[in-house]
Amino acid sequence: MPDRTHVLVVNDSMMVGGAERVAVDIANTLDRNRFRVTFCSTRSGGPLTDVLTEDTDHVSLGRTATWDLRKVVAFSRLVSERQIDLIHSHGRGSMKFVALARLSGLVRTPHLFHDHFGRLHLDRSAPIGLREALRRGVDTYVGVDERLCDWARRTIGLDPTTVHLVRSGVDLTRFDGIVPADIRSIWAIPDDAVVFAMAANFRQQKDHPTLFRAMAALPKRLLNRMHLLAIGSTEADADYFAGCLRMLDDFGLRDHVTTTGARNDVPELLAGADAGVLCAKNETGPLVVLEYMASSLPFVATDTGEVTRAVRGLGIGWTPAPRDAIEVADALADALEMRPDERVAMGVRGQRIAEELFSQTSVTASVEAIYDETMERLHRPVPVGKST
Amino acid sequence: MSSADPAPRAAADAARSIDRLRRRPTLDLSVALCTWNGERWIRPFLESLAAQHHLPDELVVQDDASTDDTVAAIRDLTPTLPFDVRLEVNRQRVGSTANFALALERCRGRFVALADQDDVWYPEKLSRLVHEFERDPILTLVFSDADLIGEDGRSLDRGLWDTRQVGRILRRRPIVAEELAATTALTTGCTVMMRRRVVDAALPFPPELDHPVAPMRHDRWLTLIAAAVGTVEAIPERLLGFRVHGSQETGVLVGAELPKAVATSVGSNLLGGGGRRADGLRARADQLDVAAERAELLGDFGEAATLRRIANDFVRRARIDEPGRGRLRLALGGLPPDGGGVRGLGTALLDVVRAMTPSRPKPAPRHA
Repeated sequence: MPDRTHVLVVNDSMMVGGAERVAVDIANTLDRNRFRVTFCSTRSGGPLTDVLTEDTDHVSLGRTATWDLRKVVAFSRLVSERQIDLIHSHGRGSMKFVALARLSGLVRTPHLFHDHFGRLHLDRSAPIGLREALRRGVDTYVGVDERLCDWARRTIGLDPTTVHLVRSGVDLTRFDGIVPADIRSIWAIPDDAVVFAMAANFRQQKDHPTLFRAMAALPKRLLNRMHLLAIGSTEADADYFAGCLRMLDDFGLRDHVTTTGARNDVPELLAGADAGVLCAKNETGPLVVLEYMASSLPFVATDTGEVTRAVRGLGIGWTPAPRDAIEVADALADALEMRPDERVAMGVRGQRIAEELFSQTSVTASVEAIYDETMERLHRPVPVGKST
Repeated sequence: MSSADPAPRAAADAARSIDRLRRRPTLDLSVALCTWNGERWIRPFLESLAAQHHLPDELVVQDDASTDDTVAAIRDLTPTLPFDVRLEVNRQRVGSTANFALALERCRGRFVALADQDDVWYPEKLSRLVHEFERDPILTLVFSDADLIGEDGRSLDRGLWDTRQVGRILRRRPIVAEELAATTALTTGCTVMMRRRVVDAALPFPPELDHPVAPMRHDRWLTLIAAAVGTVEAIPERLLGFRVHGSQETGVLVGAELPKAVATSVGSNLLGGGGRRADGLRARADQLDVAAERAELLGDFGEAATLRRIANDFVRRARIDEPGRGRLRLALGGLPPDGGGVRGLGTALLDVVRAMTPSRPKPAPRHA
């Protein structure tokens, strides 16, 4: 298949993270009749390398700084030698690196940037380096959140026709055949407790304190039925974790919360829980809510990203306002008051919605359509077999 | 840390009280209006409020014991207004910041907008701000720019932000971080709309705000709290006419007022204003410490730490500003144990220069 479009997917590293996972899932599911895929990590490799399909080459450049000129040259050589037709970068660091290669004249290949920036609650500025990289080094902008697209159009001033929203999806096959972990036995959680799993590392951007405040605001009768399984690293932000522990003590919640630390068996743990919960200050996805849905869990997730925006009012979970303990408490109370069979039914509905709205197939189809649009706009050969 | 320890228990109780005792909002949008001797301006303001594309559910009026016909004018207009008006008149004057605290306690809306009696709101003001909250649930407080208008209502062809020299900052960085809110007065109450939980976290207003040298007004306090426990966004559109007139309690310096205020400030600094400024810095540090406590209670640990760091810096600068002390010695004494390197020395010397130069002029008074 010599006339397939060769796509170079670029990100910083192959460490486990939301953006990295999206990049890998898209790369793995691109139609191989139309696309060849090479994956380039500009900084380092990582565990996700093993998840790439066998026909996907992986190259790690070992970049140590954003403006690492030696690696820009190495990258340009890679693009040239492999005859790359389209570059798809994920994350702002990688985008700036590719844009530098473009602005230096070493690379002329069309560049599509996939923006996962999750710190909109802290920063919506457009410093000159970022602005010029986007304006002059990027041909197509893909945001995972409408607010990001809005920022690209309004603050950066990109041509609206080159800005696209693509919600992140989930590869549901990863959740097929999962054997639920017996979390009640492992952590001695009472059999009659309703177990809420929160899969999120302990760090500032997440918002465990609002969840703890919400739990403390629950009537005793409901709190006594609730147990929180906090899945995620406790080492990423030691001060934050210490503050969370203080809150647990202050509120007398220690008996209602189990922290597991970082785990490699998150799908199994989710499958063993009764509901999912996520409190976060800001998210653009958040992918973990899709994982709750894929695990057939009803959820309480603060309304912070495209996923919660898309499922508001669909009766598969609750989306209280972020950082609002009272709204979160109300949502928890509603979930706790349900009968077990009602929760299960809600979870099953959620899984169906995940398939309909967020399947990897539909996400990849959207990305492929944007590839086509970009190539056509830039008068490059369009991949074979394009559906019209 | 043991839960029997009284200090954390008290902290937990305080945090719990914010959540447990909080009244759930029963309405969508409240406008909190504080009035005082504003009979001349109140009618055009209320007319502009009645002409909003997105009408409020209630107008909460707190009159600060007006001695003119302000209250009568409000009562007279109330039957014609397309929203509930809940008027309360203070028995004696409490001042605008305390008056706003009283008004905010009575608001029942999910969103609360602040209003001054002498402005004219453009019809899209409330709808634009509500839209911003609905578009982005993470926002806790939004505020806009305003056109300056004269007593006669005619445009002065100037914007509020630029007159206050914050326009460049806000247009470049529309998300206001807690560091910026802690060090700079950015917002003017009448341009602000916030979520109910900002009001809950900010009330009661602490006594530290009412400091004779460095008072912190309600709008700055609310913005500081909103930035510490949420996300504050500046919207560069001008959504109201901000009236500039002689009887304002807060306001802008225009015309001959500016050189007069500069001269007053220079004079006070040259004639021994250092001690006064040290008092001001300490007062500001106390105010930031209270804001940090509130943030910590709600679990915003990083933001609380930032506010405490700035408060400590204010205290250090206050020591340098104290009259009769060796300023350079104190500045150098304020360096971190490792000397702080060139940057630390630079900061210390800058503090000495700051301590010896006049502070920026305070704005002429404007009443809300």
